[in-house]
Amino acid sequence: MSGTVITLGPQQLALEEPMYFSVEVDGEIVVGLDVLAGHVHRGMEHLVMKRNFYQNITLLERLCSLCSNSHPSTFCTAVEELAGIRIPARAEYLRAIADEIKRISSHLFNCAIIAHIIGQGTLFKRVMEVREIMQDTKESIYGNRMDLAANCIGGVRYDLTPESAVYLGKQMERIKGPLEELYRIYATDHAIRTRTEGLGVLPNRDAINYAVVGPVARASGIDYDVRRKSPYWAYDRLRFQVAVEQAGDVRARAMVRLREAREAVSLIEQCLVDLPPGPLCSDTLPEIPAGETIAKSEAPRGELIYYLNTDGTDMPVRLKWRVPSYMNWDALQVMLKGQRVADIPLIVNSIDPCISCTDR
Amino acid sequence: MIDFKEKVSETLSLRTGAEVTIEWRINIKGVMTGWCRLREAALILPAAEAVAGLEGRLSMITAYLSDSAKQKGVREIAFHFDLDGTTLTLGIELPLEGARIPSLTPLFRNADWHEREFMELYDIQVIGHPAPRRLFLDRSIDPAAFERLIPYSTFSNGANSKALWEKVMARSGNNRKELQ
Repeated sequence: MSGTVITLGPQQLALEEPMYFSVEVDGEIVVGLDVLAGHVHRGMEHLVMKRNFYQNITLLERLCSLCSNSHPSTFCTAVEELAGIRIPARAEYLRAIADEIKRISSHLFNCAIIAHIIGQGTLFKRVMEVREIMQDTKESIYGNRMDLAANCIGGVRYDLTPESAVYLGKQMERIKGPLEELYRIYATDHAIRTRTEGLGVLPNRDAINYAVVGPVARASGIDYDVRRKSPYWAYDRLRFQVAVEQAGDVRARAMVRLREAREAVSLIEQCLVDLPPGPLCSDTLPEIPAGETIAKSEAPRGELIYYLNTDGTDMPVRLKWRVPSYMNWDALQVMLKGQRVADIPLIVNSIDPCISCTDR
Repeated sequence: MIDFKEKVSETLSLRTGAEVTIEWRINIKGVMTGWCRLREAALILPAAEAVAGLEGRLSMITAYLSDSAKQKGVREIAFHFDLDGTTLTLGIELPLEGARIPSLTPLFRNADWHEREFMELYDIQVIGHPAPRRLFLDRSIDPAAFERLIPYSTFSNGANSKALWEKVMARSGNNRKELQ
């Protein structure tokens, strides 16, 4: 059977978006992998060069759903960096709150999918139920469950009234217990450990070699988080621990996400305590000059980097971004090698891939 | 901080055999970025070796073609490296026609996808890439897609438009004209 190649698509892999894999197998063991991307390629890097800066905020928010806030906020940061715009202190905290709310939702979604794949239907429902706390929170504060429309150049376009700040604080109190419960279940449940421990291992040296980022990197012992390494918005004033695990397996990646969800609750609470009064956005905006700049943020899946090149007009000469999933896909070659075909969906989903982001 | 800047400049100069000037910018959060122009394309390989020696990580590669560069008869490409939180961008000018650049895959494995992607979007040839095949765009689409006018439905693989419907009908044999 050596040398047999099978093609796996989104349905076999429990993916919500189209990505295909050409998998070389020896019996039921994976010996080689090729990722076949591009099925939701929308030419977005071309489209952004045909739109002005304001239009691009709207367009970039629609790049994907789970990390939809990271794209417009990082793009706005790039424009602000280039034009020398300092966003108000209140906006710095409000941007961090929006990103952390999205992080909790995103991480819980992935943990739910992992439970679903390993046949833990009740746990899947429980994680999604807990996630609903965050979905309700987004709907109440921003008016939407996925796209928050929170960002504008020079600041934010939403505010927390005293009532909504109290509501957000109560929602954080509400989710703490369930998050602890989920962490305990994933850490100790025998059935989950049996299915996830030692599976899809990405050793530290391979994680460095493949240049993976985010929870995938941190689960393989790489202590790197953009919020710590290159602080932005309010993160230079917030206290948090970077979640790092050493095992590099499916379980370690899930544990990193659950720890980060707990840290995100703490970050939101700190923001609510420290939230300064003041404007939400700069009163006047300067012309966006010709130049080039870099902006980065820690999206739920890891380091997101934007490069902006301008010529003094209101449209970018070039706007390029690299999403965290971009390198994480390739590292599946290491994670899947020697594993059983039946475990491919679990290992693929353990990198929490974002296909819309990857293809653009 | 000064030591770090000097170390990066010295390592790059030593490896490339040319005086390398880096413009360092520090933002209000104290985050530093470095910007450097290499005078010729061939220098990217020794420069990348220098970055690898500094335990840098390839973060992204941006190929682009601005109107001003086009008027000068050149195109540009920028290599963005991460040095433990500091982003160093090495820029290069390439000729408009017949642009060639060495592959960074022997040094940075993740250059693979970046190089395959910009090869399908821009008219740049990567020398020494282990598998220079398409990454996102279908093989039926001509290369250098960002340099030509292409119907949007074709560009997005006709995934959600009349073009897709026509493809389906043609394959199912209901559209004899397209089959011919």
